[in-house]
Amino acid sequence: MKKLLITAVAVATGFIGYHAPVVQAATAIDVDQLLRQVQQGRTRDSDINRQRIERFRAERAQQANLLQQAKNDKLAEENRSKALDRLFETNDGEIIELEQAVQDRLGDLKELFGVIQQVAGDARANFDISMTQAQFPERSVFMTELAQKVGQTNRLASVQDIEQLWFEIYREMVETGKVTKFTTELIDTDGSLAPAEVTRVGVFNAVSDGQFLYYNEDAKKLQVLSRQPAGRYLSKVGAVETSTSGLEPFPLDPSRGTLLSNLVRSPTLAEKFHQGKEVGYIIVTIGAIGVLLAIWRLIVLMGVSGAVSRQAKNLDKPGNNPLGRVLKVYHDNPSADVETLELKLSEAIIKETPKLNKLIPILKIIAVVAPLMGLLGTVTGMIQTFQQITLHGTGDPKLMAGGISTALVTTVLGLTVAIPMVFLHTIVSSRAKRVSQVLNEQASGMVAERAEATG
Amino acid sequence: MDALFYYIPALASVRDFFELGGNVLFLIAGVLVFMWTLIFERFFFYSVKYPKIVKSSIDYWNSRTDRKSWHAHQIRERLVSVAGQELDRNVPMIQTAVALCPLLGLLGTVTGMIKVFETMAVSGSGNVRNMAAGVSFATVPTMAGMVAALSGVALSAYFLNRANRERELLADHITLDH
Repeated sequence: MKKLLITAVAVATGFIGYHAPVVQAATAIDVDQLLRQVQQGRTRDSDINRQRIERFRAERAQQANLLQQAKNDKLAEENRSKALDRLFETNDGEIIELEQAVQDRLGDLKELFGVIQQVAGDARANFDISMTQAQFPERSVFMTELAQKVGQTNRLASVQDIEQLWFEIYREMVETGKVTKFTTELIDTDGSLAPAEVTRVGVFNAVSDGQFLYYNEDAKKLQVLSRQPAGRYLSKVGAVETSTSGLEPFPLDPSRGTLLSNLVRSPTLAEKFHQGKEVGYIIVTIGAIGVLLAIWRLIVLMGVSGAVSRQAKNLDKPGNNPLGRVLKVYHDNPSADVETLELKLSEAIIKETPKLNKLIPILKIIAVVAPLMGLLGTVTGMIQTFQQITLHGTGDPKLMAGGISTALVTTVLGLTVAIPMVFLHTIVSSRAKRVSQVLNEQASGMVAERAEATG
Repeated sequence: MDALFYYIPALASVRDFFELGGNVLFLIAGVLVFMWTLIFERFFFYSVKYPKIVKSSIDYWNSRTDRKSWHAHQIRERLVSVAGQELDRNVPMIQTAVALCPLLGLLGTVTGMIKVFETMAVSGSGNVRNMAAGVSFATVPTMAGMVAALSGVALSAYFLNRANRERELLADHITLDH
């Protein structure tokens, strides 16, 4: 045994030494020391075992106690569980009973709250778009709270709340039939805020300082309409604002402002004019030139025809006017024979007539060309519109309609130029015609009369 | 004003018609009134004034001893021309007014169409009721312009013919000794 151990140790050491010669010295274990170690270890183990056995013996009595205690605990807990179960069941029953009682007691109230919630919601929606909202802005807060309160299960609406709801709806109803004055912040056409006295006619219209207002739902304020209705409506607004009692006529918008707000959308005359773009400007320029020409020719011809008619009454002194110049031919050749005189007169008349008809054909041309140019603008506008339709399809009629209405503006401009031009052309040309008639048909007669008078 | 509309319902219907057709109707009405003023003036002239002119012309001519020479020819021509000028007065203006009425109607039509398309641009093509205003703006002035023109077209032609006829008649009455 010992020999074997040594051999084993030797082999082991040799093995180790062979592999790790550095450790050889340290692992050279003394055989006696090993023996001591083994002996010590054995004694330590037996000590521990002994202690354990003693402890187990000591505890054996206690274990029974512990087991008993654990059993007792379990029993107590089971009992408590049963008691709690019973309690739970009784409570559950009680809850069901109580809920039933609540339902029984609520009964009609439940329906009432449903109705209150619905009515409060509806009323708030109505109030939000009503003219009276500017006068009583605090009520919408109350309405919102009430609707929330009634919607929850753990809060109840008080009698005051319900009465307040009733009051608000009733007040709205009463105000519908009233004409009242109150002061509120007003949004002016330029967007500025200013307090002003407003006269409200029911929930239909509000006026201030002779102007119609509308209720701006986003800003929650009354706002002045940027475009006011026709003058015959506005003229009656002042009477309602100033009167305190009695009956006054008032133009009412029964659609509660919808008709009035549609006014704002239509573009003004200036905006429409600028829609005509370049063609429109050209038409208007030509029209202005035409009008100026016509006025100039009219003034000139009026002067000429006045001078001619004065000359016709006074044949002795040929002045510096068309008729005077024709008569001068006779005055210069008093002794000429009839044929020569006639030729000379015709010559003089032919010389005078073109001056009278100067520029009149241009007026006619403008009157004809202006509508044609308008048509040109309309057609090009239409082409653009239809190109847009080609690109975007006809899905949006608004796009197309806007383009067409813009395109038509040039036609309107063309007509508005053509109509006065036709009129002016008639005035000017008939004046010119009268003077040239006097020269062509009457001048020789005047000369003949003059010749007979002088004999 | 309102009392007037209240007691004379016909006036109110006239006002409603004007509101239906828009502002162009006022222009057409103005041209129409102007045209008929001229027409009545012409009737008055032909029935009252013109016979006096004819009489004085013929008297003057008959008071002359010489009705044969070149001078007499020229003086006769002058007499006819002076009367003719009076005959022609305002007739071109009546014709112009007749021509302007349909043009004004057309102006109303185009502005009305613009209104229709604007409405369409704002509220889409689904809202036919909103377009009705524009459509009435477009159609009523056209009708009014046509009616206004028709009321004057026959008379303007009549005056033109009558002026020419009276001129020739006068020339016939002022006889020359050949």
